[in-house]
Amino acid sequence: MRNRSRTIRRVSASLVAGALLAAGSIGGAGAANAAPSNDVADGSPSPAASASPSVLRIATAGFVDSFNPFTSIYLLPTNSIRYMYENLVANDEQDGSPTKGLADSWKTSNGGKTWTFTMQDGLKWSDGQPITSADVKYTYDQMMTVPDLGVANGNLVSNFASVEAPDAKTVVINLKAPQAPNPGVEIPIVPEHIWSKIKDPAKYPNESNTVGSGPFQLVSYKANQSIVFKSNPDYWRGAPKISGLQYVYYTNSDAQVQALRSGDVDFVTGLTSTQFNALKGAPGVTTHSGVGRRYTSISINSGMETADGKPFGTGAAALKDIKVRQALRQAIDNKTLLAKVLNGQGTEATSFIPSSFPKWSLPADNPAIIKYDPAAAEKTLDADGWKVGPDGIRVKNGQKLSLRLLVDSSSPTEQTTADYLKPWLTKVGIDLKVQSSDSDTISDKSTKGDYDMYFSGWSINPDPDYQLGINTCASRPTRTDGTGGTTQDGYCNPAFDKMYAEQRSALDETARRAIVQKMLALNYTDTAQIAIWYGNSLEAYRSDRFTDFALQPSKDGIIANQAGAWGYLRTAPVAGSAETSNSHTGLIVGGIVVAVLVIAGIIWVVVRRRHADETE
Amino acid sequence: MSTAVASAVAAEETDEPPRGVPAIRYFLSKLGGAAISMVMVILLGFFAFKLLPGDPVALMAKERPMSAAQMDQLRAQLGLNKPMIVQFWDYLGNVFTLNFGDSYVYKQSVASLIGEYFWNTILLTGTSAVIAIALGLWLGQRAAWKHGSWFDRITTGTALVFWSVPTFWLALLLLMIFGGSLHWFPTGGMMSPNPPPDALGKVLDVASHMVLPVITMVAVVYAQYLMVMRASLIEEMGEDYLTTARAKGLREDKVRTGHAVPNALLPTVTLVFMHIGGLIAGAVTIETVFSWPGLGKLTYEAISGPDLPLLQGTFVVFSAIIIVTNLLADLVYRLLDPRVRAA
Repeated sequence: MRNRSRTIRRVSASLVAGALLAAGSIGGAGAANAAPSNDVADGSPSPAASASPSVLRIATAGFVDSFNPFTSIYLLPTNSIRYMYENLVANDEQDGSPTKGLADSWKTSNGGKTWTFTMQDGLKWSDGQPITSADVKYTYDQMMTVPDLGVANGNLVSNFASVEAPDAKTVVINLKAPQAPNPGVEIPIVPEHIWSKIKDPAKYPNESNTVGSGPFQLVSYKANQSIVFKSNPDYWRGAPKISGLQYVYYTNSDAQVQALRSGDVDFVTGLTSTQFNALKGAPGVTTHSGVGRRYTSISINSGMETADGKPFGTGAAALKDIKVRQALRQAIDNKTLLAKVLNGQGTEATSFIPSSFPKWSLPADNPAIIKYDPAAAEKTLDADGWKVGPDGIRVKNGQKLSLRLLVDSSSPTEQTTADYLKPWLTKVGIDLKVQSSDSDTISDKSTKGDYDMYFSGWSINPDPDYQLGINTCASRPTRTDGTGGTTQDGYCNPAFDKMYAEQRSALDETARRAIVQKMLALNYTDTAQIAIWYGNSLEAYRSDRFTDFALQPSKDGIIANQAGAWGYLRTAPVAGSAETSNSHTGLIVGGIVVAVLVIAGIIWVVVRRRHADETE
Repeated sequence: MSTAVASAVAAEETDEPPRGVPAIRYFLSKLGGAAISMVMVILLGFFAFKLLPGDPVALMAKERPMSAAQMDQLRAQLGLNKPMIVQFWDYLGNVFTLNFGDSYVYKQSVASLIGEYFWNTILLTGTSAVIAIALGLWLGQRAAWKHGSWFDRITTGTALVFWSVPTFWLALLLLMIFGGSLHWFPTGGMMSPNPPPDALGKVLDVASHMVLPVITMVAVVYAQYLMVMRASLIEEMGEDYLTTARAKGLREDKVRTGHAVPNALLPTVTLVFMHIGGLIAGAVTIETVFSWPGLGKLTYEAISGPDLPLLQGTFVVFSAIIIVTNLLADLVYRLLDPRVRAA
């Protein structure tokens, strides 16, 4: 017995010692791990790397595939690339209209088939090399000829026949078909002298010490930890007033809120209205609610078909009836949904083009707009032959008016909206079956046409052409499993298609606007979707440290996630603001905790040893 | 995910080690069981995730203005246009070369990603485990020695309260109080965005980032060690050898630490080994709340991606850790408990 307990004692003592040793060595590994990221920062020539009060720290949870402008498709790097590389033509601050980018001016000829751009004088890359038309031609040619380099923006050059650079300042784009939307927007131009030397540009991550033309250049990227940008003093609109940007990773949005409160970061976006309200009145913090670029709608399956007309999916036959779809619209009260579900943080929607693009959006006073009116909804259904059955649900030709609505179980917004919809629709005699599911399943079902209605929405670019395009008959899937095409709601109306072609070549903007309004009105009447609201983007920042954030659109717009690079362009440190006493207490307490643990561990082992000695 | 793994290997956990079996046979049977579990995990790693709804490319391209041609190009880049059997073959190749393919999002091999994040997780869970075990065992034996006393009731009660508290909630609460309001500790990450240049500064920086996640993790797990230690010591307390020890004139403290505790440690050590794997898998919530760049966070991101190769890689690695630690628990148990190896 004695013998056995001694063995156990020894084993347990050595186990504890081993565990402590392991913890110690791991601690060392952690410190060694810490080294590289600091080396990168040290190695940079930029003041952005030091803990200067003029580095704007932004909380993010965003995915990064790469910072390669040819291939990156996620939101965070796409937004970063807007700050790194100028386009030939920019989206302006006021409402996103085409404005001066690398190109000073442009003109069209040949009925809109040829676009000629004249570049600004004296433009330089951030390494001092001149920016010329050859860089532009190189960028476009790569996208047109190498399929792997067209992954991010290939659709924007699909109408390009050829690109010429007759002299250093002139770029000529020859199009296959006339095009009214400016072809110079949204394509980041890269420096040929850098990219032509890269062996496989499609695989190039472009994640440190970039050379670009924009206001900020990427210094270093450490996945899930930080992204560091320094300002470009040679930026043609003027050097930024802050020395750099730093994205800091916070997986959890509640943690982001705490980080802003404690001063660990200076800017957060994508807040929920609860978080937004909680931050109102926090010391040193200013909240901002801006009109976003996104619409939210109930997408309706009005009979899914492939581009060549083969039906697929399980959409309810009743929804092929335009009267039923219009009755749904009459029965749904957008105003209440906006006020109750979104706490009023948004604008009532009309179409799929948000009001933040007033040039294109369908105005609320358009004659096509149908008012919320449940009594009218009942009349519409009565007139259409849907008779109220004994259980209150309408019936026509033995078919009950019962519809399914897919709801994302992880989205409180969708769930609450569904809670409002159900009684509203029941009141007019429509049975609503709410089906809760995960977002991947919903995405899958919506592709396959396996739904009656689901919540949908897109972020819209300043030019409406793409969004209008995915509402044409030709954009519908080519295969009956729903792949081979991107369609917004499976919508198809030849009259809409005809106007789509017209607006695409309407070089006069006033004329084009008139056509687009007619298209949106037609789509509204056809009711392929019921747009509910344009949700505001909820943001907050440390106003005790930074000021002058720019909005796009300049009236009531947003700071982060703009269709441009205006947000932080003129941001300046607040005079007299110091670096917040960033977690020095934490450092000390952390040190004490570690020391206590190590000492306690040592004492324990020693005591165990001594006990062992004594009993032997 | 980890629960699925846990239940897959549950059969082994509850297995009483067969008595009086020759060492080599015992070893081989345990090893065989582990190998079968591993094969199941590898098969599941492919087919379970392939059955997930949704086309990864469509989900990645969601909301980006991309044409069908662009999406097809992306699909080809990711190898998703190949027939299922070829994809399975590639997957097997990747698993057996311990490479797991390239992550869709990170554009680097899953093995190198896991390698990078693994040590961060070990740092967090290892520290937490050492503290939780030490604290649990110490409080457990104290509580047992005076069981029924106020000390016992308070420590046991407190431990059980922390054990029942949802990890997520406790983590956020600590974050709000000590991070957001008091500014005592950083609100996330493993080090400051601009860490101090010297080595000591760096260690302290990492340590200060560790405090809140470690406290959370210790608080939610130490109860199980406490309870097992307490129960097994109470069982030892009526034994004759303790009376003998007291009769020799040993002080009460010495009777406890020198005689009773070592015997009571046995079941506890097994428990410790069995829980190491679970601890690492259980880090998902804590790493997510505290933005700790570890395997748990990697898994969370892989699911939200969805980043199939990364998801498969983390699944297989987590499962392997649990299978291996369970195997170790079995072997250590045999080593420690003579009754198991008595021929």
